[in-house]
Amino acid sequence: MVMEVNQGNFNEVIKDTVPVLVDFWAPWCGPCKMLGPVLEEVAVELEGKMKVTKLNVDENQEISMEYGVSSIPTVLVFKEGALVDRFVGFMPKAAIIQKLEKHI
Amino acid sequence: MSERYDIAIVGSGPAGITAAINAKIRNKKIILFGYENLSNKLYLAPRIDNYVGFHGIRGKELAEKFKAHLDEMDIEITYERPDNIYAMGDYYAIMINGKLYEATALILATGIQFGKPFRGEAEFLGRGVGYCATCDAPLYKGKTVTIIGYNKESIEEANYVSELAEKVYFVPMMKEEYSLNHNIEVIQDKPVEIVGSTKVEKLVLKNSEIQSDGIFILRDSVPPDQLVPGLLVEDAHIKVNRDMETNLEGCYAAGDVTGKPYQYLKAMGEGQVAALNAVAYLERRKLNSDGVSNPTEGK
Repeated sequence: MVMEVNQGNFNEVIKDTVPVLVDFWAPWCGPCKMLGPVLEEVAVELEGKMKVTKLNVDENQEISMEYGVSSIPTVLVFKEGALVDRFVGFMPKAAIIQKLEKHI
Repeated sequence: MSERYDIAIVGSGPAGITAAINAKIRNKKIILFGYENLSNKLYLAPRIDNYVGFHGIRGKELAEKFKAHLDEMDIEITYERPDNIYAMGDYYAIMINGKLYEATALILATGIQFGKPFRGEAEFLGRGVGYCATCDAPLYKGKTVTIIGYNKESIEEANYVSELAEKVYFVPMMKEEYSLNHNIEVIQDKPVEIVGSTKVEKLVLKNSEIQSDGIFILRDSVPPDQLVPGLLVEDAHIKVNRDMETNLEGCYAAGDVTGKPYQYLKAMGEGQVAALNAVAYLERRKLNSDGVSNPTEGK
């Protein structure tokens, strides 16, 4: 399951004991729409090993600013609250999993 | 949901049309994206001496023969240029101006791209550099944006961005006439480098500099790994094996886009190999989905 995060719970969620992926997206973004279902599959595949979340940049501009998100989709990976990786733009599932494996 | 094609072929040069013809012979449902004259490079070739069987033929004549062949086989060309193609897992999603096509297999025959990226372009991609202004414009509300425009569409994008951004600069890279919103500042200069620290700070041009939070580069053709995110490219060419397979399952490439030599017959041979292997891929998948075990699958 892909969990929605926002300004209210973001800082809490990224401190999780398992690594946390945050998908920065917006409803008007075409590539975000394509990445969404791919990340749903990633979430299933990595269940228990990584938490997959998404954040709407329109509704949470402060967080987007804080992390310098200037293109979407942008995916950030956190480990116990610390930013450990980021990638920008659509990626196929196999490539995403490969990128994430080193954080698991 | 749009109907799903068996094979989408991107490019109507010698590689693309040969792929289309062979896939059609195998009775696959295909869509071929391309141009009316098939390929500018072919159409403009003054004389061709190494196309076996047609010594001394003009490119235009050969293109007409190719067109007649396509007509004979009822193969239509869709005159559209895919903006992005996404590997969704069991299919490819082909986006064109917000329209969506779906295909199980994909053959890329887009030819070779001329023009190098600017210094700093790759480095700041996603950190201020982008290729789709309309996609990311809302992130630049109240900020300064520079657009390097190579085509008509870039004018429309610049006008759209100017409604959101505080300040828009436009660097025209084309010769045609254009009309921009009055609040866009046109800079007639040649971009050289994109500079910044953690994100984009300015565009350096030959004779000037522009302070900018974001830079959009809107070219006519995008590099193959921008067109298909996740595609493996080496030395500006798509990496393929002898079966014309790319690193993405179900995605094949043929013609100049896979590397030198840039020749018609090489392109056509590759287009044929790509099509036949795409057909084999479709059959393997069909067997699997029918629940029939197929121990020969994979390599």
